[in-house]
Amino acid sequence: MKHTKRLTALCLAGALVLGLAACGGKKDPESVGSAAPGGKDPAPAQTSTYRQLYSSEVETMNYLTTTTFENLRIPANVVDTLIEYDRYGVVQPSLAESWESNEDASEWTFHIRKGVKWVDKTGAEVAEVKAQDWVDAAYYILDANNDSGSEYNWDVAQVTNAHNYFEYTAYLLALETATDGVDENGNPAKLDEDGDVIEEVAPVAKEDIGVKATDDYTLVYTLDAPCPYFLSMLCWSAFMPVNGEFLESHKDSFGIDNDNLLYCGAYILSDFQPQVQQVLTKNPTYWDKDNIFIDTIQRTYNAEANTLGTTMFLQGEVDEAEISANLLSSLMSSYSDQIHSSRPDTSYSYWYLFNFDPNFDAQYEPENWKKAVNNENFRLSIMHGLDRVNALQVYNPEDPESELSNTITPLAFASASKDYAYYGGLDKYTDGDTFDTAKALEYKEKAMSELSAAGATFPVKVYVRYNPSTSNWADECQLVEQQLENALGSDYIDVIVEAGPDTGFLGAIRRTGNYGLMKCNWGADFSDASAFIVDPFKEGSSYSFIFKSEDAQTQAYYQQYLELVAKALKITDDDEARYETFAQAEAVLLDHGFAIPMHTSSKVYSFSLLNPFEGPYAAFGFATYRFKGQHLLEKSMGMEEFHAAYEQWLIERDAAVAAQ
Amino acid sequence: MPKYILKRILRSLLTMAIVITVVFSLLRLMPIEGYFENYDKLSQTQIDLGLQQLGLKDPLYKQLWNFGKQLLSGDLGTSIRYRKGVSINTIVAEKAPISLQLGLISLTIALALGLPLGILMSRSTRTRWKIGDKLGTVFIVIIQAVPAAAYHILIQFAGSQGIIHFGDWALKLPMLFKVGDYRTYILPILSLAIGNIAYYAMWLRRYMVDEANKDYIKLARAKGVPGGQISRRHIFRNAMVPLIQYIPNSILFTLMGSLYVESLYSIPGMGGLLVAVIKRQDNTMVLALVVIYSVISILGLLFGDLLMALLDPRITLAKKEAR
Amino acid sequence: MAKHIFQSHRDRVTNELDQKLSQQLKKELSTPDRSSMTEEELFSFAPFNPDASERGGYSNYSYWGATIRAFFKNKVAVFFLLILVCTLAFTFIQPNLPGQRDPILIHYNESGRTLANLAPGEQGFIFGTNNLGQDIWARIWSGTRTSLFIGFTVACVEAVLGILMGVLWGYVRQLDFFFTELYNVFDNIPQTLLLILIAYVLNPSVPTIIFALCLTGWLGMARFIRNQIIIIRDRDYNLASRCLGTPTRRIIFRNLLPYLVSVITMRMALAIPSAIGNEVFVTYIGIGLPLEIPSLGNLINTGRELMTIPALRYQLYFPVAVLALITISFYIIGNAFADAADPKNHVN
Repeated sequence: MKHTKRLTALCLAGALVLGLAACGGKKDPESVGSAAPGGKDPAPAQTSTYRQLYSSEVETMNYLTTTTFENLRIPANVVDTLIEYDRYGVVQPSLAESWESNEDASEWTFHIRKGVKWVDKTGAEVAEVKAQDWVDAAYYILDANNDSGSEYNWDVAQVTNAHNYFEYTAYLLALETATDGVDENGNPAKLDEDGDVIEEVAPVAKEDIGVKATDDYTLVYTLDAPCPYFLSMLCWSAFMPVNGEFLESHKDSFGIDNDNLLYCGAYILSDFQPQVQQVLTKNPTYWDKDNIFIDTIQRTYNAEANTLGTTMFLQGEVDEAEISANLLSSLMSSYSDQIHSSRPDTSYSYWYLFNFDPNFDAQYEPENWKKAVNNENFRLSIMHGLDRVNALQVYNPEDPESELSNTITPLAFASASKDYAYYGGLDKYTDGDTFDTAKALEYKEKAMSELSAAGATFPVKVYVRYNPSTSNWADECQLVEQQLENALGSDYIDVIVEAGPDTGFLGAIRRTGNYGLMKCNWGADFSDASAFIVDPFKEGSSYSFIFKSEDAQTQAYYQQYLELVAKALKITDDDEARYETFAQAEAVLLDHGFAIPMHTSSKVYSFSLLNPFEGPYAAFGFATYRFKGQHLLEKSMGMEEFHAAYEQWLIERDAAVAAQ
Repeated sequence: MPKYILKRILRSLLTMAIVITVVFSLLRLMPIEGYFENYDKLSQTQIDLGLQQLGLKDPLYKQLWNFGKQLLSGDLGTSIRYRKGVSINTIVAEKAPISLQLGLISLTIALALGLPLGILMSRSTRTRWKIGDKLGTVFIVIIQAVPAAAYHILIQFAGSQGIIHFGDWALKLPMLFKVGDYRTYILPILSLAIGNIAYYAMWLRRYMVDEANKDYIKLARAKGVPGGQISRRHIFRNAMVPLIQYIPNSILFTLMGSLYVESLYSIPGMGGLLVAVIKRQDNTMVLALVVIYSVISILGLLFGDLLMALLDPRITLAKKEAR
Repeated sequence: MAKHIFQSHRDRVTNELDQKLSQQLKKELSTPDRSSMTEEELFSFAPFNPDASERGGYSNYSYWGATIRAFFKNKVAVFFLLILVCTLAFTFIQPNLPGQRDPILIHYNESGRTLANLAPGEQGFIFGTNNLGQDIWARIWSGTRTSLFIGFTVACVEAVLGILMGVLWGYVRQLDFFFTELYNVFDNIPQTLLLILIAYVLNPSVPTIIFALCLTGWLGMARFIRNQIIIIRDRDYNLASRCLGTPTRRIIFRNLLPYLVSVITMRMALAIPSAIGNEVFVTYIGIGLPLEIPSLGNLINTGRELMTIPALRYQLYFPVAVLALITISFYIIGNAFADAADPKNHVN
């Protein structure tokens, strides 16, 4: 009896192990093993394969709703846009062969390239690309039911009725869950979950949206206001085409994998295994296939790509490895002939901002901070006391000076007859460095006497916040803290650095004003002088809350800025004057120390068998994510070659821009 | 016995209901910013709309009810962020077998190496210098002391960079895992197994030493029963009883994978999935995984208890329950 | 997941202890390893001693004295105790030694660049510098201090709360259902979720981490105590006490807890390294302490990222070595102390 019992038990344990092992072993090759071969094997001689690691898997490839670069990396390569950027950042025809706008740039007509096909993941033709595809995409994006993040861009471009249609669909959606009730005047009304009255919205038909296909190959956008920079917004997901029928039939699954996408771009996503690999193969039907030089892009997932990448590159297992800043110097000492940086990237601009509506813990003395921050000399003392190059070492220990950005709208971002950064009194910032200890100490003296009179206490607590999940930001804050306190004296300021939460950082810190001094950023959506200088500083923005300042002097400066911006926004026919006025507005902010420009998107150093100058170049949209036009090199470019090629590229670029 | 099992399962259901409710409530506290990709550029209307579509504006009881209904129909739901629009059943079905396969292989290896090591160590305690026991203890202590964050990556580099070499031959295994390429399985399996080897060896040694000191063993020795027979038939078997209890649990927990190993070797398994979805605020996936893991741990304990009761006639579940 | 990795270690140890203890309790008499002794060693004639026969029933036995004596007989444990005491003392003495640097002070060269990633020994930096030009030697000791502080605090809270709750759970039968459910529920709530929420409400800092680790940590201890209490609560002597009308409090403090001294100390000793280990994990998943507060967790994590460069691997090896040493010490001392605290091992 005892014996049998034990036997049963052992059998049970054994069966459990075997059963699970068997099911594990069996299921496995079926579900994921289909694409086991490939990858590591060296590519046959006639085709070129570019192998890279990636550490962040796409969440969705539905380019009509998602807005993150990570998710759009594949769509950017598999679906083309109306226009594209060449390697110098000049707009070139893509799916639109040509275009024209009316006189005040409020109506844009695009002539769609004929014979471009939508194909599936095997390369089989599904449909032709027609003007209606952009209209269908618009209907989808602007329908509140689809919860797209791209509605914003249509708003910015002020496409006729785009926003109204969105608001109307949102209203219809709200009505679905609404309850009957009465408003404050006792009239019957619809109430939402929180019991608030839902405002009625006038009906808008989707046909009224300012995007129309007048025939199969003519697409017209109608805008509410002149928008001379409309073209620059088009190389981005918000203005990508989609085949309406396919979208309709794949509704909820559109973009979840490579079966649920159609391709009309340079590549086809031939294999997509989340957390394993993404394989892009050249689209044989691509309209411009002569400019595609890499046949296959083999992307392999690894969550620790940053830690393993360089080792794998040096072993020849991958063709690219980004080098994080903390490894750069060490690797540079042995591999300077193989490491190069990326081209300057002005898509994001970072500046330190002073918070005028401090909303933080009493122990950091928000009232005292309020007094200090409204004192111009105090702000200027920090502006001139901050050694930015010192702080930038954490991003680029090799060449921190090259990371400096001296204006809110970065240099080489936009230009009329000259670069924006040289208009309206910005040249003194562009060609100089604000760091000047002597000047800073002078301002400190003045600030100290003025602030003492105003009843402020010293040292002023400067409450600096950062997001611990943003790489290197913590290190930067440590450098800034020690450098500022050394330069200005700990009798004057006491810099307190504190990490914010890594989830919900913006909401918890910046938007609620839970900081004193913090590095903030803004990304451009289009090419214009207004791209950086308007939104983060306008009234009601959630950046530095200058508009909430009760100080007369601060308000006077701010009004001056607002007036200049308002004036500049109205100038749509004269680039020269528009740039000049925007630059003047920016100069007001800089002259009175409301912002301290730091850097743009940091350069990325890497080992890579791609020529960094061949790919498309632009400061907005996803042009830089495209592999179009790039060749595979024998050997990764070194820094010396890079500098030479960069000089050459700048010259060619000036020529290309001038010829435009 | 069936009554006992039924009772335990019913109680587990209650536990799960509470767990789900608590996790649901906790998820509601997560910052809303995390549900959006470009929060900074959205209008209030859009934010409200997004929340409504995620069902976050519904009252808690309604969400719970919907979730419960869906769960009962065998559907874990649809991912909202991690892989937007993909059924969680699909995601888990893709990932779980891989973790399970690697985990079971490594567990088998751990048992195959750990148990003999434990036996050797316990035998060695009877020798004069106890060298085997001492060496084994050093191994066990070191494995447990070096943090997992470090030793997995050390194994990976040691195994793939040719750091270990004899003359011309150097150990250069592939750095990344690839389904079907069995050479790539070696390092991750070793990494997974090494901790378990130490663990089983440590346990078995402990129980065998304790068992060897019991009077009945002494009696057997005094009667002249051969040492090998005592060891095999009496000491080892009885020492395995408390160990066997944890084996179902260990088997089931291989489903969860290992965050460190799977991240380092690109293994598309379950390891770190829970952390990833929590950080991305994919609420439906968090809930689904919590349900899966609760079931695993409940079943693991139940199987363990049942196995032990079957193996050791002195243990009855009714008594255990009274405790 | 997180929970699984680290709690499992602790649970294993708990269970191991659990088993061991119950076996000890069941045994009539401790049986030290005598089987390998020869007949002569086991048995010898006791000669008649007239002085001893005169001795009365007085015993100078003191529990703690005997425990300490038994402990100090274990040479290996004493060695590790010494190491631990020295390490501990050194973390406090180190900042006051001459020539020490501030762990967060950034060092520059003449041209104003940071002295980043100096190799150990270069320019007087014993363990070199990190990528910011901070002294790794100072950071390791400061980090050890922080981590030990976290470990000790968490272990203390765990002990106090865990023992209190565990005793109630085990002794008061009406509470059993409540506590069992509470335990099961907490056991199945992902720790990562709690940590993220806590970090969101409070900011990431030492108290936050301690709070987060304590929040669920005591449950394991409570369950452990509860199991022990259940084993001994119905022993005859406790039954007798109850029949004689001894108040529950007195039974708990006089009859039950003294029985558990050895296992409680053992568990506390292990709780410290396991809290430190947990901190390493939490840092790995990106919700640990901010970088300006050095801890073994973020030192190890920073070191990991440099694995790819052989010349920089020292930045991983040093903190790992310190952490391993601390863990081993606690493990061995805890084991030895638990053995020594068992009165049965006092009879020689």
